[in-house]
Amino acid sequence: MCAAESMFDADVIVIGSGGGGAVAAKELGEAGLKVLVLEAGAWYGNKHWANPNSEHGGDWSSDYKDLDIGIYKKVFNSYENNMNDVVSGTFRFGPADRRRTPWHRIMRQKGDIWQASGVGGTTQHYWSQSPRAFPQAIDQVWPLSYRELIPYYEKAEATLPVQFSPTTPKEELFYYGAKKAGWQLNPTLNVTTPGYRPNPNAILPPNDRLMDPGCSLEELSDMEGCTLRGNCVNGCASGPSVDRIAKRSTLVSYVPLALKTGNVAIRPNSFVIKVLTSHDPKEGLRATGVQFRDTWTGEIGELTARTVIMAAGCIETPRLWLNSSLPFNEWVGRGLTNHCFDWVGGVFEEKELMRIMGLPEVYPYVGHTSGARVDIPGTGIFQVSCLSPGLMSFLTYGFSEAGYNALNPPEPGEPWNIRGRVVGPQLKELMRNYSRTMTMLLLTDDDTLYRNRVEVDPLLKDEHGPIPIVYYTPSPKTLKRRDQLARYASETLRQAGARQIIRSDTPFGFMLHLESTMRMGYVTDTNCEAFQVKRLFIADNSVHFNGIGGPNPTLTTQALATRTAEKIVAKYFS
Amino acid sequence: MHQAAAYAAAVPPHTYITFLALVEAIIPYTAACSAPGDVQSAGAVQFGVHEYLIWELDHNLSLWQGFYLTAVPLSAPTAELLNYGAAQFTALGYNQAPPCCAGRTGCPFADLHPADRIRVLSMLEQSDQLDLAPLPPPYRNDLGIVRYMIDFISRQTLFGNYSEWPAYGSTRLRVPTERRLECFPPGWSQVRYPGVVPGYRAFMGSVLTIERQGGGTSIVCS
Repeated sequence: MCAAESMFDADVIVIGSGGGGAVAAKELGEAGLKVLVLEAGAWYGNKHWANPNSEHGGDWSSDYKDLDIGIYKKVFNSYENNMNDVVSGTFRFGPADRRRTPWHRIMRQKGDIWQASGVGGTTQHYWSQSPRAFPQAIDQVWPLSYRELIPYYEKAEATLPVQFSPTTPKEELFYYGAKKAGWQLNPTLNVTTPGYRPNPNAILPPNDRLMDPGCSLEELSDMEGCTLRGNCVNGCASGPSVDRIAKRSTLVSYVPLALKTGNVAIRPNSFVIKVLTSHDPKEGLRATGVQFRDTWTGEIGELTARTVIMAAGCIETPRLWLNSSLPFNEWVGRGLTNHCFDWVGGVFEEKELMRIMGLPEVYPYVGHTSGARVDIPGTGIFQVSCLSPGLMSFLTYGFSEAGYNALNPPEPGEPWNIRGRVVGPQLKELMRNYSRTMTMLLLTDDDTLYRNRVEVDPLLKDEHGPIPIVYYTPSPKTLKRRDQLARYASETLRQAGARQIIRSDTPFGFMLHLESTMRMGYVTDTNCEAFQVKRLFIADNSVHFNGIGGPNPTLTTQALATRTAEKIVAKYFS
Repeated sequence: MHQAAAYAAAVPPHTYITFLALVEAIIPYTAACSAPGDVQSAGAVQFGVHEYLIWELDHNLSLWQGFYLTAVPLSAPTAELLNYGAAQFTALGYNQAPPCCAGRTGCPFADLHPADRIRVLSMLEQSDQLDLAPLPPPYRNDLGIVRYMIDFISRQTLFGNYSEWPAYGSTRLRVPTERRLECFPPGWSQVRYPGVVPGYRAFMGSVLTIERQGGGTSIVCS
């Protein structure tokens, strides 16, 4: 070992093991670099953490053989409250110890932040939609071109892998309505014109024997391939081993591949509280390591590396920058986009469904959580998205910018019968129609505004320092596009034969697709290296220049993280 | 007394009654819709969702105070928020329905007709005219936090009711890792959700397929 190497604990430290961090770790490990990954939350499916939510367990894992499908499936039991309760669920943003409260973020508006800590991060419960950005949102807008991204998209798509969704009843109904509404099939990964298509999802295709009654569903759930069990959002548990689980969260895709390199070690339960820096005579201010807090013991540790990657997500990455007292940059934490979601549902009559599909129900709990979409570059996307009843009830009837439907019903002539929260006997009646209800998530091409931001509270702290405050108010243009999407989605439902149409008017503060709080071109260069701190890179959604036009952001983060790893090797380790 | 009952008994009566009144207004008992005893008639009170909300609010927030991380229970101040809103609502003469039990509960919010309780929620999240100075932290003079919380308790009532939480029975108020299902979730029975299953034989084909050969990608239409 040369003198320079012996000064550091690793070549690279990666902060966060979610959609981007795990990708960077795998790519750097394959390049032969020694990588340490620090993850704030638990690790589900590893022998060193047999009871990850109630015991400290081990410190590090660096061996692929540590992965344990039995532990994984014991935790991932698919029950929606157990998995997705934002306060106490397996997938909350909080410490592994579920006796404790979640980590708090301040929001002074309706909504919630659906992020998850843990190895795999939010991809543990993401729905795995993996579309590329709309080219028109990149070219002549980002400081790099769409063409430059394509090889990295292709690599991430092949690695996960990404495949178009299979058809189940709800997709069949969606296609029927979309075609009648005038949308054309768009058989492409590079979307430049409007049209419908199956979702490109990071989910393994159904097992060839899925329709063979000679093979039981219990057997199939321990074999390779999706079993269409409809629980992507509540944690996929179909597969024979951790690395062959059907839904390709980074916990089961990039993390196992990273461990296989033999160069990557991951430490869960380790919340990074400070990026360490020093002044180098040649480079100026440079990152040299991190300080972290063990979330079980409270002990503080330090690790050093020749480069550091921040991949803690759109809230924690700027928070960490600010709490580390890194140089002032007016765009740190600024420019937050979130696709300003909306949610539209349709209730169908049995006889209408029988006429269209020969089936009496929509079966919203069957198939991929989200399996088909209409893409409209310049406006956004609407995608069929159906959930288990607890999640579906609150998304459809439980929260809204519009208040209560009964107190403020839609104007006559609007394409929806219901807008806003529903309560009382009407709610119970609508929920009785759950199995004949098809719902859609709307993703808006969201303007990037300086006022939308993450900052830290001047007074309130948790064990990791000043806590984040999140502000988000969409622009009038974003709201206009969102309203247009709601009309397009409603028309597709009406054409499909829906008897009642519900528009939730989702709170603007419902945060699923946070992006662009550490924007390339403002905070980092095109290699995703911070302008003001050398050897400090960013590899999460925060480095996006904008909201990429509306498509789900994870694949773009994964493509960029692949590219960033390549740039790190070329610049500092060639 | 099992643990859930003991936990509920430890909650101050004003808080308990207020949350019971909240979930009753959002998901009521509806005997007229079905035969007595039918699962369809049950509402959020019968499923204990008020206890769920109290648990959620009391396990929601910790802040660093002095040298320690300190849990900040939110159910009591949130009940105060609802009762303060109800008192203002009544004082302003906004009632549109006769009170269901005026003065009997000691909680202005619970005294209101269920439809007026919903109007109180609406008033609280919309009004920037209301004087929020008399409220306890974290709501004092902070309309944004009030709006966040009204939204949270509204949707979380639905999530508690229609998720599997009521089926945890006597273990429902334990820490999550110690909860055990004691029956099929009644909210799932109400909506005819079959529950967690290993899979469905529902494959109806593929509209498009990505084929990867020799490093290239092509799209095949079926």
